[in-house]
Amino acid sequence: MEALGLRDDMGDKSAIAAQNSLQLIAFSIGDQTYGVEITTVREIRAWNGATPLPNTREFVRGVINLRGTIVPIFDLRARFGDGQTSPTKNHVVVVMSVGDKWVGILVDAVSDILTVSRDDIHNVPEGNSIDTELLNGIVTHESRMVGLIDLHAVVSGAKVDA
Amino acid sequence: MSDLDDFKATYFDECSELLTELEEQFAAIEAGERDADRLNAVFRAIHSIKGGAGAFGFSALVGFAHAYETLLDYVRDGRVELSDDVVVLCIRANDIVADHVKAAQTGDALPAEYGLDEKARFDALARGESLAGEDAGGETLDEFDIEFTPVMVNLDALSEAADLASDTFEIAPMQPEAGHWEIRFTPYRALYARANDPLLLFRELAALGEMQVRAVMADLPPLSDFEPFAVYCSWEITLFSPTLTEAAIREVFEFVDGDCDISVVQLGAEGDAIPTPMPAPIVIVDAETARLRTQEQDLMALADDEVSELLDFSPAPVAEPVTRQDSFEEAPGPSFAELAAAIEPRPVPERVAPVSLNKPVTAVPAADSEENGARSVGVQSIRVDLDKVDRVVNMVGELVITQSMLTQQMDETLRARYTELVRGLEVLAQTTRGLQDSVMAIRAQPVKSVFSRMPRLVRELASKTGKKIKLETVGENTEIDKTVIEQLSDPLTHMIRNSADHGIETPEKRLARGKPETGTVRLSAEQAGGNILIVVEDDGAGINRERVLQLARDKGIVAPDVNPSDEQIDQLIFAPGFSTAEALSDISGRGVGMDVVLSNIKKIGGSVHVRSWTGKGTRMTLRLPLTLAVLDVMLVKVGESPYVVPLSSIVETIQCSRASFERVPSGERVLQVRGEYVQVIDLAQRFNMAGESQHEDRFVVLCEAEGSHKVALVVDDIIGQQQVVIKSLEENFERVEGIAGGTILGDGNVALIVDVQGLKATIVHKNAA
Repeated sequence: MEALGLRDDMGDKSAIAAQNSLQLIAFSIGDQTYGVEITTVREIRAWNGATPLPNTREFVRGVINLRGTIVPIFDLRARFGDGQTSPTKNHVVVVMSVGDKWVGILVDAVSDILTVSRDDIHNVPEGNSIDTELLNGIVTHESRMVGLIDLHAVVSGAKVDA
Repeated sequence: MSDLDDFKATYFDECSELLTELEEQFAAIEAGERDADRLNAVFRAIHSIKGGAGAFGFSALVGFAHAYETLLDYVRDGRVELSDDVVVLCIRANDIVADHVKAAQTGDALPAEYGLDEKARFDALARGESLAGEDAGGETLDEFDIEFTPVMVNLDALSEAADLASDTFEIAPMQPEAGHWEIRFTPYRALYARANDPLLLFRELAALGEMQVRAVMADLPPLSDFEPFAVYCSWEITLFSPTLTEAAIREVFEFVDGDCDISVVQLGAEGDAIPTPMPAPIVIVDAETARLRTQEQDLMALADDEVSELLDFSPAPVAEPVTRQDSFEEAPGPSFAELAAAIEPRPVPERVAPVSLNKPVTAVPAADSEENGARSVGVQSIRVDLDKVDRVVNMVGELVITQSMLTQQMDETLRARYTELVRGLEVLAQTTRGLQDSVMAIRAQPVKSVFSRMPRLVRELASKTGKKIKLETVGENTEIDKTVIEQLSDPLTHMIRNSADHGIETPEKRLARGKPETGTVRLSAEQAGGNILIVVEDDGAGINRERVLQLARDKGIVAPDVNPSDEQIDQLIFAPGFSTAEALSDISGRGVGMDVVLSNIKKIGGSVHVRSWTGKGTRMTLRLPLTLAVLDVMLVKVGESPYVVPLSSIVETIQCSRASFERVPSGERVLQVRGEYVQVIDLAQRFNMAGESQHEDRFVVLCEAEGSHKVALVVDDIIGQQQVVIKSLEENFERVEGIAGGTILGDGNVALIVDVQGLKATIVHKNAA
């Protein structure tokens, strides 16, 4: 019955979904949940080490080989200023396309695929510059706050003295 | 008409290849290599261009090419001496041909008088050597002696087919009279190689008048010496028509001009042209045999006593695409009897419409043009979309990595147990390596294709500026990735223009300064470390720094209170909107050129550096990445990370414990090697690697950077040598200082390529700052 109820729920929303909804891949860093639009995600893979890049900021974890191309990995936790992640095999790299480039983002875990309405996206409250810089908006899903990552902002400013 | 458009596109592709070849050949001829092979290559190229142009009706191009070809022909057989003047004229002619081709391609009309001067000079040259013919294609009448009897073969009424096939037949010597023409046609092997068929020519001739054809078999060797691809047969043709002109006959042979000897003599007009009889077997070529190729024709033409030997003679497959060989496919080894049966009376002129070679839409010329491209150059090539090649390159890269991963999985116990598996893996390793090499070779191309466009540019610049300029090219076989090459043409053009326009002085000025009258622009390419260096050097005046700085200040590029160093001033010429030309010329000086150079080169991940010596010259160096080239490297460890150093830049490696380090007053370490003091860069420090490993058994890798400056890199370990494929970091990230790119190792991990030159540059930069 519960499953049926869920499907009904989805069915009701599908009419709006076509126009106005957004599918997100949600992932976690510590207790926080963040999301990126699902269409930007190319691949999700387990952390398997990266070759460090010299003269880059601490949130650039290095580069990995993704089927013959070199893809940089950004440590999202470090990007938010919370220090470098100590990655294990259970950590996850989300490979996404940003513009014409592919980048990987190191996160703790991928949790869900969420469907949210565009109308539910709130502006990021002014205050912390890191938040406003790196997030496009905030959306509430099942009473959890999900920060929408601005990928362009995340990958910029990677060099030490750019 | 899309078919025709396709043919046209192919033709223009070929033209550009042929024009490139012309440039190359003349570069060698200019340098003194005046041998027959080069002339023949030139002749072939012009001929092919003319042939195609004729097919598409580019009459201006045909006209010019024809006159040019005639001159070349005279040069080839020694009637015109290949003097320096002639070479210069020819080089000019190449440019005109190129312009005609371009005009034909774009549909723009050239001025009607374009190239007429040169054409007139061709004719003058041709006449200057006591040549009789007023028309360009004219031959002297006493060029050859006729030693045969024209024989009558009435193509309209051949009823005795069987007799004809197995034997010679009666021929009545023909009385010479007006309107009778004697044509001697000796095809070269090239004629067949280009898929021309003499029969088609005969048919056209037959359409002109009453014709007799006689095969000359005198050169036919015994069967034991018979070479399948050699041409032993020539023909003597008598043609009668009261209105016939020599030009009309020559027109028939226009397409095979250069691939055969043709002589056309009007009988009766020349007293000594009366032929003498020569016993020779006869071959009748008719419509059916038209589809048979050279060998069959030769076979048919063999004398009787050799026929029996021939019966089990199967012609070797022709080493060319089978598409043209349909008759062969049907009858792989035609016996003489079959061939004989194939000959039946056919009134050629009536039944078979003359095949006009001027219509490219028919299948024959299409095959012809393909043959031309492939055979004459000796290289068979196909055009492939670059994306497809890239896909293969990437997959092969993956394959190599997978293969080495598999190999690494084999430990000693497994090796002992599964010998077959081990052997298989070894073969796999070899094959993948071979595959990788081959794929990389597809992607890489010699810079020659760009360099070869430059001589013309320099000639034009020289004539426009009234300067004397010589272009030297070095290292044109250096291979660079195809995409890089494509991006190279514009920057190089601008750089050479700049050198010719701003660098090289006028002859008077040069002489006054005690320099040779002719200025030299030197264009060179070499692989240096992980880069390709393209250097444009001139021995001109050098950059006028005062003027550059003044202009830069005027234009607000440099603030008034800043005093840049000489080197910084030199770099200013690449600043956007900068131009030093005292008078704006139409060559360079609009202030966009060098700016474009910089942006184009940056786009492909390269850099430009300029150095100038007042009064002595300027050197501009392009450093280009080897994007997809294979690089021999030494694999080292810095901290815990793998790095590779291009083998080509490594001079030697030394154990740190044996190296003698010294300290200079600044506290920096230097390395003393054989009396030389070399700057030391500790890569772990330089790259801020965590876990400062200061253990004793580290290594010094002594590298040579640009300009033979050495630099000593300290690494933590040396792992070994290998070949790697360079991958771009910029593709998904951005340029990282001191790193030339990345590569993927056998275990699938990424190793970074140390940019030796870049490391040195940043050090200098930091010291300066």
